[in-house]
Amino acid sequence: MEFFLQQTVNGLTLGSVYALVALGYSMVYGVLKFLNFAHGEVYMFGAFAGYGVLTVLGGPSALMVPVWLALALMFVGAVAVSSAIGVALERFAYRPLRKATRLAPLISAIGASFFLQAAALLLFTANSRSFDAPTLIPIQTGMPLGPINVWAIRILVIVTALVLMILLTWWVRSSRVGKAVRAVSFDTEAAAMMGVDVDRVIVVTFLIGSALAGVGGVMVGLVFGRIFHLMGFIAGLKAFTAAVVGGIGSIPGAMLGGLLIGFAESYTTAYISSTFQNLIVFGLLIIFLLLRPSGILGRPELVKV
Amino acid sequence: MRRRSIWKLVATMLALALVVAACGDDTGGETTSPVGDTTTIAGDTTTTAGDTDTTEGGTTTTGAQPVDVCEATVGFMGPITGEVAFIGEVQLNWFNYTLDTWNEETGYDFQMVEADNQFDTAQSATLAQQFLDNEAVLAAVGPAGSDQVDAAGAVYEAGDPNFTFISPSSTRAGITAQYTGMFRTVPTDDDQGPTTADFLVAQGATTVFMVDDQSSYSTGLADTTQENLEAADVTVIRESVSQDVTDFSALVGTIPDDANFVYLPWQVAANGTIFANQMAEQGKEAVIFGSDGMDSDDFLVAGSYIAAFAPDIAFVEGSESILEGYLEQYENTNTFGPPVYAAARVIFEAIERVCQTGQTPDRASVQAEVRNTDQADSILGSPISFTEDGDLAEGRFFIFQIQEDGTKTLVE
Amino acid sequence: MSHIGVDRWVAESEDREEQYSGWTAPARRLIDKVPSGWRLGVFLGVVALYPFLVKPAGVRIGITVLLLALLALGLNVVVGWAGLLDLGYVAFYGFGAYFYAIVSSDQIGLHWPTWVAIPVVVAATAVLGALLSLPSRRLVGDYLAIMTLFFTQVFVEIVVNFERLPGVETDLTGGPNGIPGVAPWVLFGFEFNTFNRNFYLLLFLLVLLIVGLRNIDDSRTGRAWRALREDTLAAEHMTTPVNRLKMLAFVVGAAIAGLTGTIFASVQVGVFPNNFLLTFLITIYAALILGGLGSIPGVVLGAIAVAFTPEILRNPGVAGWLFYLGLVVLLVVVLKRWVRIVSVLAGLVAFGYLVRGLALSIWDQSILGTANDTFVSRMVDGWVLVLGDHQNIVSNYAFVLAVAFLLGVIATKGWWKAALLIPTVYLGILVWENKLALQPSVTRQLLFGGVLVVMMAVRPQGILGTRRVEIT
Repeated sequence: MEFFLQQTVNGLTLGSVYALVALGYSMVYGVLKFLNFAHGEVYMFGAFAGYGVLTVLGGPSALMVPVWLALALMFVGAVAVSSAIGVALERFAYRPLRKATRLAPLISAIGASFFLQAAALLLFTANSRSFDAPTLIPIQTGMPLGPINVWAIRILVIVTALVLMILLTWWVRSSRVGKAVRAVSFDTEAAAMMGVDVDRVIVVTFLIGSALAGVGGVMVGLVFGRIFHLMGFIAGLKAFTAAVVGGIGSIPGAMLGGLLIGFAESYTTAYISSTFQNLIVFGLLIIFLLLRPSGILGRPELVKV
Repeated sequence: MRRRSIWKLVATMLALALVVAACGDDTGGETTSPVGDTTTIAGDTTTTAGDTDTTEGGTTTTGAQPVDVCEATVGFMGPITGEVAFIGEVQLNWFNYTLDTWNEETGYDFQMVEADNQFDTAQSATLAQQFLDNEAVLAAVGPAGSDQVDAAGAVYEAGDPNFTFISPSSTRAGITAQYTGMFRTVPTDDDQGPTTADFLVAQGATTVFMVDDQSSYSTGLADTTQENLEAADVTVIRESVSQDVTDFSALVGTIPDDANFVYLPWQVAANGTIFANQMAEQGKEAVIFGSDGMDSDDFLVAGSYIAAFAPDIAFVEGSESILEGYLEQYENTNTFGPPVYAAARVIFEAIERVCQTGQTPDRASVQAEVRNTDQADSILGSPISFTEDGDLAEGRFFIFQIQEDGTKTLVE
Repeated sequence: MSHIGVDRWVAESEDREEQYSGWTAPARRLIDKVPSGWRLGVFLGVVALYPFLVKPAGVRIGITVLLLALLALGLNVVVGWAGLLDLGYVAFYGFGAYFYAIVSSDQIGLHWPTWVAIPVVVAATAVLGALLSLPSRRLVGDYLAIMTLFFTQVFVEIVVNFERLPGVETDLTGGPNGIPGVAPWVLFGFEFNTFNRNFYLLLFLLVLLIVGLRNIDDSRTGRAWRALREDTLAAEHMTTPVNRLKMLAFVVGAAIAGLTGTIFASVQVGVFPNNFLLTFLITIYAALILGGLGSIPGVVLGAIAVAFTPEILRNPGVAGWLFYLGLVVLLVVVLKRWVRIVSVLAGLVAFGYLVRGLALSIWDQSILGTANDTFVSRMVDGWVLVLGDHQNIVSNYAFVLAVAFLLGVIATKGWWKAALLIPTVYLGILVWENKLALQPSVTRQLLFGGVLVVMMAVRPQGILGTRRVEIT
């Protein structure tokens, strides 16, 4: 029981991070029908921004402000940097390609990804950095959950992700801009004809998606402790899969997809095999996709001839 | 100007530039060692005639005064960018540092050529050929990984078996025998495995939880260590994760309570720290034993053990100044650095010996002198001389324990 | 128009010439006058001379280029002609390479003669392609992409961990160490064991493939694929056997990849798992898109560009030339009028001296470092600020500022644009001399990524592609 509980917490933590990054993919796909391959790099820069803030505040062992304030500032810094990069990407790399074929923005995204990775290598060197979270918040502090103890940072991650997702869902449902986003992702031309400023909606989408990715980056740094210039590539791949499995274009779908993959990874490693973790998780997903091609919560696309 | 004519102009200029570039220099080209802070190194810089005991870093200079004119170009091949850039970057920095200090020490003007193989075998083969084509290059340090050694070695062997290449980090046993010009300045898995296993057994290990990271280095080492442990009746639970995984929580959860040691022969030390933190989170009390790839500032978990091929070089007499000098110029170092220093010095000194006989150094003579290398002591904490195949004749591993304050104390 | 009695190519020539637009138009019209057979012949002749003009390393690079060209052609069939987004292509390449390696090395003691090995490998890869095409019946677009991406990941995982699969006894794939010592192709007693021989072998296969694909493109199958690509549903309603066509596309693509894989294995004298990663797939796609999706000469050109450029950029001297040339091009393209260009250049020179003077007055002479050893660097040494101390941190800030200013240049118009160009170019040169020139390997990747983005923004259809409008 203890083992199962532990693995569930692990899966939940991992899944929350994947969900946050997957949201960015899903939202952008929803409005632009395009997969932003450079999203992983946005997440990576967010993590480094958080690290930068932490260093400026004195580093984990000599913090100049209380821990909660430091964490809050780290998140703010990450959001600022990630959003800036995301919006810049949209404005300069993708907007000129709105009318081109599907593959052109993909290549542009890949080029942007290479550029950002190389920039990170130049600015931060190849050495990985660590948030050293156990010094910030010792591992023993946390909430006991039955026989196991859950580290406070994990709780922070799970709760923050949950709150953000709830906020996002509420915002998309009730606010004007949120409704505009939904309208644009449903049918861009009709929305434009209804007076929605499509360009602005797209910018807002990128802004929010990138901000979420930035938060995800800081969370990964806190929980898992290692940030390096290529972390975006791998995480991006998993989050992309999560978004597709959940039904690309659907916000609750991305959250579900992320959680699903997080749990799948944890349980597979724990109960089946760690060596073939990726293989088995991917295999399950593929079978799932074959059975339900549009993902869990995706709308089966009606193609008009 | 109208749009069309601009594009024509642009196209012509670009085409011209590419033509000039392509026709001009097909090979990697020569680069001087990079400019930057050039602080002089503290420490002994006397080279006296005859035998000396310890000059810099405990190397013995055999022979007479430095010769007036000695020119050479040495290549460096490594993963400067790409997934394991943290290895290649440090290796490149150490190489440049060694070159700069050598040139200062001796007054020569040796040059270097850098080649970034991005840890990729296909590029290694091309770059190996580029070194061969560049007649000025007499020898090279690198490549870093055993599979790249296979790829580059095939090219060297077919093109010029006299070309010397010294790998500072390839540890798979047996490959030196396959390539004439191959040498290495690290001991092999066949040394590290038994050393590790013996130590664990001596410490009373009954069950060892072993995780490899699916790289060539890691699986080879884990296999050897597992063999030795099982021969001593220790239970081994063997798992494997890919290098991209950064969350080991699930795996850590599967560590049985009766496992008293966890063996992690990994290349990425930072992952080791994550693993240790997650072990602490879940209340696992086994002690971690890391291989030489984990010998880095990224892994400083108190109470763990590390196998390394050099006593922490700061403690080797004379090496402290080398390390200090390096750190003044470059930010950080890790376990992959010092063997590059050793390899580069082997080559430089071999070239110097050839110059001292009056000949102009060429690949064959340099290789012959490399075979004659006989340093009584080195930055690696052990003497440097090579077996017939090219392995270190006296390589050995040392075992350290990491203390609370992050320092490493020698245990064996 | 009386085009009775002439062949279709001639009959369509006027339409074709009208369709060419943009700056490549005059060149294309000229090329179009030459029959395609002659064009191929000229290309062949030029490329055949290549090994005699370069050193062996250059031939090895040429082999890399040709391998990429073959792969890009194969992928073009699947993506460019049939419109199926296949992200698993590299797995076919790897499968072909590994299969050939297993039957031509000491790994399990098999040493099949080449004339047996090649057909078997190609056939097996084709079967794999057929299998992989099955999901494409149910999945379209991005979902198919995910599925095929899975195969890329899974292939490498299986190859690395083959021995650990439950029930497996023999070490078929060599695990993470790969399979070294692969035998070269041997046909009719002739061993292809030198770079030159392999180069010509690849060239021969390339020409064969180009001719073959040309013929397929002109045939019913080619037209059916085009219909499939443009509008799958409509094609299906026109009774085109959509599923069979998809399978055929996959099979052809896979067979080409498998064949290329065998040559790769024999040239590298070994296969290793890291040869078949996602990053390589991206390279193939880049070659395809940059060259122009769907166009055979475009694809070949794209492969040449994508494979050669990183190699050329390795040399810091060349990279420096290209960088400064790029700056000049930037100035010309953005400013267009001589007056503006001259005034910006004057402003730039003044700005540089200003910054230098400021820096030297605040900190003294000691912060200066030594210049790099290339022609251009020596020329600008007295003007740009080359630092000694603090070089790293100043370069970092300068880099971020330079990118920000560059984005500003793109986003503004008129005098603002010209004014912002000055700090952009100055900071760019500063960063180049202080950081980028010293790290050629990282700069290479930076420039490559930047070129891709700019290329796509300026010319999304690729060099020789035709502008297509997606009907969604």
